[in-house]
Amino acid sequence: MKLTNLIFATSALLLMACNKPADEPLVPEEANYVGTVTVIYQDAPYDTEDIEVNFTPAQDGKTGSLTIYKIRFVPQMPVTIDVTIPDIDLTSTTEQINLSCTNVIPLAMGGEYPRYTVTDLQGSIVGKEISFSLNFGTVPTSYRGSVK
Amino acid sequence: MIGALILSIAILTTPVKDTVLQEARITALKETVPVAQMASSVSIVGSQLLQYSGTYRPNSLSAIVPGLYIPDYGASLTSTIYMRGLGSRMENPVLGLYVDGIPVLDKNAYDFDWEAVQSATLLRGPQGTLYGRNAMGGVLSLRTLSPSDGARPSFFLEYGTANTVRTGGSWTAGNHAFSATFRHTDGFFLNAFKNALCDPYNGFSTRWKWEKGNLSTVLNVSFSDEGGFAYGQVIDGKELPVNYNDEAGYRRLSALAGIKYRYRTPEWIWDFNASLQFLADNMRMDQDYTERSIFTLQQKQISDAFTGEVLLRREDKSATWQPTTGFFGFYRLNALSAPVLFKREGIEQLILNNANKNIPADIGYLSIPDQEMPIYSDFLIGSWNAALFHESVFRLGSWLLTAGLRLDYEGARMVYDCLAQLSYQFIPTMKAAKPFEVPYRGGVTHHYFQVLPKLSALYEAGSHLRFFGTISKGYRAGGFNTQIFSDILQYQTMSALMKDLGVYLDKEMVSVVAGNTEYDPEKAWNFELGARYGKGNLRADTAVYWLEVRDQQLTVFPPGMTTGRMMTNAGRSRSLGAEAQVNWQPGQWRLRASYGYCHATMEGKYLPYVPAHTLYLQSGYRFDLGKARLTLDAFLRGAGPFWWNEENTLREPFTMQLDTRIGLAFSRFELYLRGQNLTNAATHTFYFKSMGNEFLANGKPRILITGISFSI
Repeated sequence: MKLTNLIFATSALLLMACNKPADEPLVPEEANYVGTVTVIYQDAPYDTEDIEVNFTPAQDGKTGSLTIYKIRFVPQMPVTIDVTIPDIDLTSTTEQINLSCTNVIPLAMGGEYPRYTVTDLQGSIVGKEISFSLNFGTVPTSYRGSVK
Repeated sequence: MIGALILSIAILTTPVKDTVLQEARITALKETVPVAQMASSVSIVGSQLLQYSGTYRPNSLSAIVPGLYIPDYGASLTSTIYMRGLGSRMENPVLGLYVDGIPVLDKNAYDFDWEAVQSATLLRGPQGTLYGRNAMGGVLSLRTLSPSDGARPSFFLEYGTANTVRTGGSWTAGNHAFSATFRHTDGFFLNAFKNALCDPYNGFSTRWKWEKGNLSTVLNVSFSDEGGFAYGQVIDGKELPVNYNDEAGYRRLSALAGIKYRYRTPEWIWDFNASLQFLADNMRMDQDYTERSIFTLQQKQISDAFTGEVLLRREDKSATWQPTTGFFGFYRLNALSAPVLFKREGIEQLILNNANKNIPADIGYLSIPDQEMPIYSDFLIGSWNAALFHESVFRLGSWLLTAGLRLDYEGARMVYDCLAQLSYQFIPTMKAAKPFEVPYRGGVTHHYFQVLPKLSALYEAGSHLRFFGTISKGYRAGGFNTQIFSDILQYQTMSALMKDLGVYLDKEMVSVVAGNTEYDPEKAWNFELGARYGKGNLRADTAVYWLEVRDQQLTVFPPGMTTGRMMTNAGRSRSLGAEAQVNWQPGQWRLRASYGYCHATMEGKYLPYVPAHTLYLQSGYRFDLGKARLTLDAFLRGAGPFWWNEENTLREPFTMQLDTRIGLAFSRFELYLRGQNLTNAATHTFYFKSMGNEFLANGKPRILITGISFSI
């Protein structure tokens, strides 16, 4: 009987330790994603696949940054560049982490790159999926990807 | 020119030995039969011709030896040698050089001022079986004064054009022989930018030999400090003077110590020889050869080498079977440092322009604010060789049949340690320049094995005429393209810098990497037929050959590279040719003629830099005037036409140069006047392209020399 009680009690403790309480918001964690970037060029979507994105939250979990690797803003661009969007506001719910910011100067090519100032960034991380949209300067851009 | 030859018919006796008699004494290095019975083409230049023609460097043998062309350009390390269509501007030579039986390993030490050279013997065509690496075009063997020559002390002093002073002396005493020479010249080519001559030369060379019984030693030390690289730009077909702004020159200290020992048994002769070789040199070069501050190269090396050889031959030279069996090995360690310094214009033109042309202007541009950007390239290259060889000569009646085989292994390892240092700024995103370093380190090893057979037959048709046929193989060693590392570093730097910036080009930059900077040996098969005639004071020989070259080592501009050239095994070529030489000394006359024809092609095009014809004519006469002797000599030397490029669009015509000598000799001394290129014929010795610019090197102008030689 004592043994049965011990097993039951231990199992209960384990379950309590493994399961987050259903009402606590998600804690943002660093992750790398692979997905598709879509830029609107001359009123038409232009997709680039296999684009990697790194999401890194700040220590307080309230802000974070997104680094988009090898992005091309217009199809004719002969180079791709890495762009980091800092100071993204993070809000968490129990289901997802929401991303938002506006008027943020991205970092690229060794410093701030105001030409592609980010406005209207909206997005979310749900489970293993990330999606966001923004304007890089005047270029409407969106991204959808999964954890790498 | 013909008139000049006729004019050279004149009056008097000569104080030097008869060339033909002297040649008859000369034997080759390892062969068991005398030169006259060798089944291959041989040219012998005796001390008299060397002295009269002013030959004291290898390039003066051009055309004297049919098919041989050693253009005089660059600096002493250049030593570009073409023989029977073989040869290239860079890396290993196609001619093996032996001085007193010791192989000289480093091509940078090939071009030195000879002192007391008694004869120069050139075995033409591949001699791989007995001589191994680099004896693909032939072997040049120099024999210097030996104690056993018993020569009286003799000295000479010359002065001439461009304040050229050459002096030297040689003497024997007991078991010792000494010789030394010094040369100075102000130079012949004006660097318009510096308003100064760009090719001054100061050099000193000395040699000591000791012989006792079967043991002999030799020690040779030479030092030179010179300018060089007299390259003038060609724009729209117009040749401009030499005009570069940065320092250029070459300094070299080399030493060679050799020991030889012969051990005899009643049946066999064992020859042991070993050498230690040292070379330290320093080349500075304005690598753009223009008045602009683009980039410079400094190349310093310290090389140490050991060679050893054992030869076993039969004592009885009259035996039917004459075998030669031997083992050869060497080890060489070369510490090479070759930093390239990009100057302001070079940073902009070669680095930034290349980088920024791929970056859209509306994104920004790369800037390197440094005034100078160094790319350090340090190498430690060890190379080693071991070879076992055998050659048997069978005398069967009037026939001499030879069969030989060499098993030759060579390996090398290059450890490279390169570093580019700069600071960069991407504008407008970066507010300040960022220090940046790109290291490139690693090692490459290669090994190869060569089988070098030989078959030949010589038929003696009477006592004066011989016919021969030979099939032989030779190879030129492989190696590493150290020159290309500065280009690799340029590429690595740009790649690392772009990655650091987070910018990626759609079109990947193309570059070689260290792993493919090695190149393989070049191999040549030689099929040759010849005839040799010798009677009294007449020697004549002729030969026709067919050379098939595989894995031809070619100098190419690799894809994506901006400035560098590299050696690669890019093809196969064929040389068909004929050579003839006559040496006749009737009475007071000295007559010599050498002619070489070479049709060297690759993929339907003529091989660049290879002269189709070489021609040498000498006519001399000696007048006896009581106790004095007057000698008059005229020499005509010609080479060409050449193609300067692989496309065969740039051609240098056949040109000839007239040299003369007048000597008045008494019992103990001689006064002489020597003229080189008396007609001041305009010739070009080198053409190349760098950074899209074309350059030519000119042959030396008219040179007049007066001198005195005397013996005690």
